[in-house]
Amino acid sequence: MASFSTNEFKTGLKVMIDSDPCTIVENEFVKPGKGQAFNRVKIKSLKTGRVVEKTFKSGDSVEAADVIDLDMEYLYADGEFYHFMMTDGSFEQHAADAQAVGDASKWLKEQGTYIITLFNGAPLAVTPPNHIELEVVETDPGLKGDTAQGGSKPATLSTGAVVNVPLFIEIGEVLRVDTRTGDYVSRATKK
Amino acid sequence: MKDRPTATKTIIEARASLLSELRSFFEARQSLEVDVPAIAKAPASDPWLDSFTVNDPTGLHVGYLLTSPETYLKRLLSEYQCAIHAIGKAYRANEEGSEHAIEFTMLEWYRPTSIRPFQAMVSEIQDLVETLTEYGRPEVIAYSDVFKATYGLNPHQATTDDLARFSSDLLGSKAAASLDLDSQLNLLFATAIEPHLINHIVVDFPAIQSALARIESDGVDSVAKRAELYIAGCEIANGYYELTDAVEQATRFDEDNRRRESSHRPVVPRDDALLDALTSGLPESYGVALGVDRLLQVMTQSKTLSECMTFTGHL
Repeated sequence: MASFSTNEFKTGLKVMIDSDPCTIVENEFVKPGKGQAFNRVKIKSLKTGRVVEKTFKSGDSVEAADVIDLDMEYLYADGEFYHFMMTDGSFEQHAADAQAVGDASKWLKEQGTYIITLFNGAPLAVTPPNHIELEVVETDPGLKGDTAQGGSKPATLSTGAVVNVPLFIEIGEVLRVDTRTGDYVSRATKK
Repeated sequence: MKDRPTATKTIIEARASLLSELRSFFEARQSLEVDVPAIAKAPASDPWLDSFTVNDPTGLHVGYLLTSPETYLKRLLSEYQCAIHAIGKAYRANEEGSEHAIEFTMLEWYRPTSIRPFQAMVSEIQDLVETLTEYGRPEVIAYSDVFKATYGLNPHQATTDDLARFSSDLLGSKAAASLDLDSQLNLLFATAIEPHLINHIVVDFPAIQSALARIESDGVDSVAKRAELYIAGCEIANGYYELTDAVEQATRFDEDNRRRESSHRPVVPRDDALLDALTSGLPESYGVALGVDRLLQVMTQSKTLSECMTFTGHL
């Protein structure tokens, strides 16, 4: 099994911690002038997204996680699994369960491209693109003349996500949304 | 363009003025600046220091790049018995991070004095910080006081098991149990105490961390007469009330090599030139090593050491 020594630690490295695949978020080398060296590492679990701090004796090694990020197109959901297809022309399909999809479920639109993290060949996590364009399917009618006030109202998008939008937004408009914060960015189309 | 200088012009100017202020500080105190080699026949024996080896073009071993100019300075001190200081590059393999670099600038100074040498050392470090920086005069605290305040334990009496209870939170119980007393103390100090030391000189270290310092009683426990300066949570300088006993020094060399072997580090040749200097007589003295790049880092409030190095990432 491949492993990494602490001196190979860097942000983004995928390692096994307590038999869970994790990614290194931050790596700090700690060494008193005359003492033993340690690496203090912030580690994010790829399963739960939880960030924990760990300390290693410098020179120790940890097992590498067999994790790979791939671009895939979202196809459909069958009630139990979410189905994705490789975009490399192989048409290879992968089924992700609800835990792997997590919060990304509200950003899934058919034919959209997502990053699927595979662990030992099975989907572990689904990451939407930072910005995504979605259509408004439901929102209260806008009030004329209120645009300068900078007020906002909730709008339901085609994927089910609810975001706060300016009052002038109407049903049927396509919006650009930041998936990391869930914030409205701009109109994607002019009506 | 690759391999351009990494420091800004402002930092390069700050470095130049720091170096000149350091030189004026020691000149005003009748210390002689000495220029010593960076290569030596025997490297530092410290169990946790890795020295680069130097080979000639045919691959023949020439010596070691020094991790500090200590051996040369003590040999000069023994010969001429006067206050000396050196500013130059020091080299430590395998040390890289936001506060570490394999090649860095070190100021090291020695001063013979028989009048309360330890107190004299602490107040000279205080004078230096007060004169050169805007941090003011550092506060002096005992290692045991700050350790007790954080962990509720007397570090001079704590056992490896006592400390493993805390270090297992950081390392996991298996790795924590594999650490010796020295490493346990280092880990606990570096993680939970050091970050809170804003402008402090910590004195009277655990005896196991004496290195080349004398061991004396603080009234209750045996302590190593070391003083370390921390500014903005960063270790800046390390001072020793120097060991002058050649026999004791020889014993510590052997002990260091035993510890090096057990951590799979190469055993190093004994520094006989240093032992000779101690045998012929080191005056009652103290010695301090100071990381110039780190001092510049905290003075300019830079986030990383590399911003303060003229070139980094060039290797």
